[in-house]
Amino acid sequence: MRVIFKLIYKDFLVLIRDRGGLAMLFVMPMALVLIMTSLQDNTFKSINESGINLILMNNDTDSLGTAIEAEIIRSNFFKVHREISGQKPTGQDVKEAVASGNFQIGMVIPANATRQIRDRVKHNMDNLFSGDTAAQAGHDSVFIMLYIDPATKNSLRSTLQGSIREYAARVESRIVLNELTREINTRLMMPVANLNQMKQETVFYREEYVARGNKTVIPNSVQHNVPAWTLFAMFFIVIPFASSMIKEREDGSLSRLLTMPCSYGTIMVSKILVYLVVCFLQFVLIMLMGVVLFPWLGLPALMVTGHLLSLSVMAVAAALAAIGYGISIGTIARTHQQAAIFASISVVILAAIGGIWVPVFMMPPLFRSISVVSPLNWGLNGFYDILVRNAGLADVVRYGIWMLLFSLACLIIALYYHRLRRELS
Amino acid sequence: MKGDTAIKIRDLTRVYRGNSKPAVDKVNMDIPESLIFGLLGPNGAGKTTMIRILCGLLAPTAGEVTIGGFSLRHDLPSIRRIIGVVPQEIALYPSLTARENLTVFGGICGLNGSELRNRIDKWLNIFGLEKNQHRQVGRYSGGMKRRLNLIAGLLHNPQILFLDEPTVGVDVQSKKVIIDNLMEINRGGTTIVYTSHYLEEAENLCSYLAIIDEGRIITRGTLHEIRKENNTESDLENIFIKLTGKDLRD
Repeated sequence: MRVIFKLIYKDFLVLIRDRGGLAMLFVMPMALVLIMTSLQDNTFKSINESGINLILMNNDTDSLGTAIEAEIIRSNFFKVHREISGQKPTGQDVKEAVASGNFQIGMVIPANATRQIRDRVKHNMDNLFSGDTAAQAGHDSVFIMLYIDPATKNSLRSTLQGSIREYAARVESRIVLNELTREINTRLMMPVANLNQMKQETVFYREEYVARGNKTVIPNSVQHNVPAWTLFAMFFIVIPFASSMIKEREDGSLSRLLTMPCSYGTIMVSKILVYLVVCFLQFVLIMLMGVVLFPWLGLPALMVTGHLLSLSVMAVAAALAAIGYGISIGTIARTHQQAAIFASISVVILAAIGGIWVPVFMMPPLFRSISVVSPLNWGLNGFYDILVRNAGLADVVRYGIWMLLFSLACLIIALYYHRLRRELS
Repeated sequence: MKGDTAIKIRDLTRVYRGNSKPAVDKVNMDIPESLIFGLLGPNGAGKTTMIRILCGLLAPTAGEVTIGGFSLRHDLPSIRRIIGVVPQEIALYPSLTARENLTVFGGICGLNGSELRNRIDKWLNIFGLEKNQHRQVGRYSGGMKRRLNLIAGLLHNPQILFLDEPTVGVDVQSKKVIIDNLMEINRGGTTIVYTSHYLEEAENLCSYLAIIDEGRIITRGTLHEIRKENNTESDLENIFIKLTGKDLRD
């Protein structure tokens, strides 16, 4: 016990004497979580809070153009612009403005679009009442041009196109029914009411985010991003951890310790305990930042009430997994460069396949099956279950156990490799 | 100590991975207790490998070693309790002060409380480091680091002290303090195993010598015995050159 206390004292001193490194251990993860959450929150808002810049050129002075414009404005999806540099644009101007990235989407409603629809309805009615069902539609379709910035993400592009199509279809059907009513009233002796009255929706859907325990959780960018990026940041401790081990090995102080009454395992236990405290403090500070600082910055507050114990258990398990991984890299790598390059890239890969950036359900089948071997995936599932699905400790304990087993496996590999190096190097 | 022989070495062999030639090749040797044993040899002769095996840092490929009566293969933890090691490199934590380094190493070796404090004070005073004891070791001069490196190995008063070139790169004053104190420690009963390139220093310090080359012990004994064996009255340097040749070594 005395030996472990002395080793902890040494590791603690080595850690706190490198003040720049220590500050980075806390500041950089907090900055990462803050920046990523803010960015994601802004993306979230940009879809929901008039963030998408749309340049609209409405050449139709009648009801179709007016109604589409009104629908788009009412949707709150878009910030609608009608002028470019104070001038009414031409169709070419709209195209160029979108191509140059000044607007994410451009829309040109052609002149006389409403009249074309009316003519088409009238033509169809003529055919209908003449009994000529085989007659072809003799009028051109109405083309509303949508110009889309190629830099816009596919998912966003699909959402925009879908929304605009929906508005246009709604307006078009309204006009068609109006015209149909008018034609019927003109042609038949018995007047009919506006057919649009029939079009009242009878099938509705209601959405609700459900969580365990009959609790409703409203997801937001903070609840989703803070656990993901916290986990990612915690795993980055692998790099300074492995580097400190290699430095100790290179300067001979590890060899000196190994000639004293302490084993490699004891030396590792001391490091695990010291870095576990660091990781846990990182976690606590990031959680505090989510709870206290985020609302100040206009972000939603992180809701952790009632989950502190399960979150802490998951944080400790994740920290041990990260440290165990660091020990194996620090033992096996021969140089700082090897450790730094392998550790940083492998953590990014584990994060990518673990679902930190792209949700696992959106991955190709191969990656979906690989993702289950990433400790970051276990940690992420645990944190999401707690923070988004209202899970308790018993529900997530399996993820914690997997991370502990991963840590243990890394430690065994490190001890085995150390022994191998003593015998074979 | 369980017997009169501090270290027994039998057929000790070490082959590094990828090398067909052994770095230490079937060495047999007894090192009596309470003397200063000098292990000399040119670069790459196998001195450091021998010391690293005896300290438990490297496992032997073959052979048996007993240190203080404990088998190196089966009872390494017991050996670690009775030895002290001063490695060739400055094996200290540069961001810790001298006192903090010694507190850590002394504590791991079983010292604590006032005993630890008193020993640290004593050795810092002997090696002239008491004024700088609260400075971080990274800011020490080469000689100061070398002296502190030595204190870290002998602070717990080991029965057997291994020194791998302890005076490399130090000034004459530091060297004298180190040598004088090693003799003093030895007078207290500590067996010292010492490697060096400084043959004159070894001649003055060591009561028993062995010259190793290409992993094999090519001569051993007191200086008198070595001279007699090689039919010469010349100094150690001439005997060394005669035995190991004039070729440059890597």
